[in-house]
Amino acid sequence: MNSLERILAAVSGDDTDYQPFTLLLSLYGASLNKSDTKAHYRDAALWYKGQRAVIDTFDPDIVITPFSLPTEAEAFGSELVFLDHYGPNVKKPIITELSQIDQLIVPDLETSPSLQFFLKCTNFLSDDFRGNKAIASPIHSPADIPALIMGIEMWIDTLLFHPKEVEKIMEKTVKHFIQFGNELIERGATFLVVPVNFTTPMIITEKIFNHLLPYLANAFRQIKGPIVIHNGGSKLMPFIHYFAKLPNVIAFVLEPTESFDEARRIIGNKLILMGNIDGPGLLNYTKDKAQEITLKILNNRKADKHFIFATSNADIPYDTPVETIQNVVDTIRNFKKY
Amino acid sequence: MDTVNKREMIAHLINEGEKDSAVQLLLEWSTQTSFKEVIFNVIEPMLTELGQLWMRGNISLAHGYLSGKVAEEFYLMAAGDQEFNLSRIQHRGTVVLGNIEDDFHPLGRRLVNIYAQSAGWNIIDLGTDVTAERFIEKAIENKADIVAVSAMMFTTAKNIIKVRQELDKNSLSGKVMLAVGGAVFKLRPELVTEIGGDGTADTAIGASNLFETLLKKKMSDF
Repeated sequence: MNSLERILAAVSGDDTDYQPFTLLLSLYGASLNKSDTKAHYRDAALWYKGQRAVIDTFDPDIVITPFSLPTEAEAFGSELVFLDHYGPNVKKPIITELSQIDQLIVPDLETSPSLQFFLKCTNFLSDDFRGNKAIASPIHSPADIPALIMGIEMWIDTLLFHPKEVEKIMEKTVKHFIQFGNELIERGATFLVVPVNFTTPMIITEKIFNHLLPYLANAFRQIKGPIVIHNGGSKLMPFIHYFAKLPNVIAFVLEPTESFDEARRIIGNKLILMGNIDGPGLLNYTKDKAQEITLKILNNRKADKHFIFATSNADIPYDTPVETIQNVVDTIRNFKKY
Repeated sequence: MDTVNKREMIAHLINEGEKDSAVQLLLEWSTQTSFKEVIFNVIEPMLTELGQLWMRGNISLAHGYLSGKVAEEFYLMAAGDQEFNLSRIQHRGTVVLGNIEDDFHPLGRRLVNIYAQSAGWNIIDLGTDVTAERFIEKAIENKADIVAVSAMMFTTAKNIIKVRQELDKNSLSGKVMLAVGGAVFKLRPELVTEIGGDGTADTAIGASNLFETLLKKKMSDF
């Protein structure tokens, strides 16, 4: 059974030879590679070299194209800041006045260097692993990326008080999501991973969420592949039942404090649950602590055939000891699920 | 209607996203009683309650933002009211507030402004992308007790070191306290001392308590 078969078995609820897993190690490739983090997020060949090191070291069942949502916002014009040992972040959003939404241009896939970075990385992974491993491509939700294009305050203000502007920007971000998402699939992504950190109960009200839901349904319906909803560092519950009804959604990556049992009660037994060890938290866990948390999750999901072990929240930090991550992997591999 | 019912009514309107209706209702009550009465017995306790709910994760950031907007609009209306202004003369202290140089993430700072003002602090808000020199210039001009600096990211948080250097250069360290805040300090608490901060708060609602602690520390130093 290869990695892709293992993941497909989890989708269909069949037995696997061992517990399928993935770890968010997009940044960690730079650490294994000892490469400069700015170059890591600019040079697709260098990023891929890092991912090869990740795959050679940990051999996850799902490999993940670059996890750098700010770089996607850069394609719209937001300004980035690059940090040593960290992923890039948005320094200055492109929109500072609501009137600028009219001038906002949906980035062109062929000419945007930011989007080309993602697409080239997807090509590299696909060339070497298509048919062997599942390839996951993170892409920002069309209802979340406005927070990186105009800043979270202006986005919340717009959601609360400016419905026409919400419509205008959502029209553009939905168009981008469909174009970019389908191109990632075309180039080899098995599924899209959609972080929804700004569309959760921690950030918006249920009333706002319900206003955004038709846009999400329209966008997701036009994607030519499955979609995994990722917590992005925020809790999915109690909105998870809304996401579960959206077209093409097959899985959820829960936040580390969320309960798989509660999620199962809400969404039923068919959809896949993923998670939920804290990826950024691995930096501060001892090897034993990492093993303890991993075992607790594995035991909790022992009877759950629609479960894929994964790190939750953001990337595993650059400075995390290799031994800590290896201990998580070894614990998964040695676990007797059946 | 008693003040508890009034607070519940406003909280309900905020929950429904009805900012204008909430402000209008507050205005009606203030004409029946006074701005001072409505602010002290309805708005400020309500902000405290909502802030605590927000800290516990029971309400969203959008709720917190909306309650702040309601308070902000009502405070503007009350600004011309003599009785209310007289009650505000005895504020708890003066805070110069801003996002550090190169930081353009205003939400946390704006919430600190609203919550701390409602708790009785005199806030001088300098906005985003504020240089260390400007923080100190305004602190001296306003005889501030505290300079409160917000930064969201690690790179911009490092610019706060310049504020500490300016305080030292002007012999103000210990006389003007340096409060720091923002997402990066929640992720990396050790950064507070690394960049020369005197203290931090996890959330905007906690800023008032932090300022109180720093004020006591300042007074005990002199």
